[in-house]
Amino acid sequence: MKISILGVAATKFGELWSVSPRVLAKEAMNNALKQSGLKAGDIDALFVGNMLSEILGNQANLGSLLVEELGVQIPAFRIEGACASGGLALHNAINSIKSGQYKTVLVLGIEKMTDHSQDEITNALMAAGSDEERMAGATFPGVYALMAQAYMKQYKVSEEELASVSVKNHYHGTLNPKAQFQFSISVADVMKSAKIADPLKLLDCSPISDGAAAVVITGENIIKKVRKPIQIVASEVGTDTLSLCDRKSFTSLLAVIDASTKAYKKAGLRPSDIDVAEIHDCFSISEAIATEDLGFSKKGEGAKDIAKGKRTLFKGDIICNPSGGLKACGHPVGATGIKQIVEITEQLRGVAGKRQVENARIGLTHNVGGSGAVAAIHILRI
Amino acid sequence: MVTSPVKLWRRQKNTATLIGKKGKILQWTIIRVPAKSFIDQAPYPVVIVKMQNGENMIGQLVDWQQKDLIIGREVVSVLRRLRTEQEEDVIYYNIKFRPL
Repeated sequence: MKISILGVAATKFGELWSVSPRVLAKEAMNNALKQSGLKAGDIDALFVGNMLSEILGNQANLGSLLVEELGVQIPAFRIEGACASGGLALHNAINSIKSGQYKTVLVLGIEKMTDHSQDEITNALMAAGSDEERMAGATFPGVYALMAQAYMKQYKVSEEELASVSVKNHYHGTLNPKAQFQFSISVADVMKSAKIADPLKLLDCSPISDGAAAVVITGENIIKKVRKPIQIVASEVGTDTLSLCDRKSFTSLLAVIDASTKAYKKAGLRPSDIDVAEIHDCFSISEAIATEDLGFSKKGEGAKDIAKGKRTLFKGDIICNPSGGLKACGHPVGATGIKQIVEITEQLRGVAGKRQVENARIGLTHNVGGSGAVAAIHILRI
Repeated sequence: MVTSPVKLWRRQKNTATLIGKKGKILQWTIIRVPAKSFIDQAPYPVVIVKMQNGENMIGQLVDWQQKDLIIGREVVSVLRRLRTEQEEDVIYYNIKFRPL
């Protein structure tokens, strides 16, 4: 069965103090529906990707809450997998169509984070880690810092080379009107920013953000209805141990390797076939490792290739994070996995404006939860 | 959030068996922006330790100096007060590491 994308929409990402989660969700869902040419009554079910609603907002039962905003009473589910909640929601939505239960569904990713203080968010995000990591006083940047230390030593990579990930993504962010940060930064800016967890500095880290994104997908044959149908040709999920220290390698994420290997096989594609990818760059080190785990760069050369411009718009071969990624576009954790789908869909349709990747025909999304305990990979093509 | 006393009681039996074990630092970082209950200890190192039994453990490094932050540095597990609790919370003791 072919899974086609009928409509996509994302809200502005950033510090959106004047809007509530309901308002954010409604904007994303209504705009995605409008683009699909469907009405709420045509949707069979709603899947919501969200991580922090109970911890920060004391609100569970998100499926029922947000379906109210659609104005129809249809089956609704909330899916949680830390920062991969969006990708996992889409995976489950696709499976629900493939099972024959539903024909057309709406998938929403949403997070509201900036209503809360930094230490509350630091604490809440560590819910994605293990008890042992929390008891060690480790933070989310701290766990990725441990990976960065291992990676830099093993492959002789400098802090400046890692910083080039943030520099690239901020450049891309200047071309995205929905990005949280639409300004450029230099390697020197990253190097002199405040240390968070050595060797990671503030500008190596994605921000705390609000935002929502939605996508309407269907299993119906829509070739005649939609001029440029985008298809999801692979949707795969992998898992690994919750704790970083229980893994054999600190410089590679097995969940990503497992999910992407399955995805490439299902799609009948190789890494070199990918034109554009949205990568889960929660930290600079994450994108360096991701480009290796996904097969875009050789092991140990991910950061160096990014520093050379191989993932940069208008000069690279496989363009990574044209949206600005998590670093510049923003990282409302539950929304990120769906925003990645929105971005790749716009790229493949050729409507990405100033950040358009030329002749983009095949795109990939890489959405990771925790320190790599779960990963969702999707491959889209026109 | 207050930690359940039952959870602490359940854990402490295991914690007692982990005191005085030796190992070597496998990776380290310094946490400069911690979660709320660790704020008065920051900055502090967090290390992954390769224990003599071959297992990896993650923990906070205490009684440290900059020169201790090297891969291969020998450390030993010690029992320490974990963090700053809220008024109603049970005081939590847990394993941390100290340079040998």
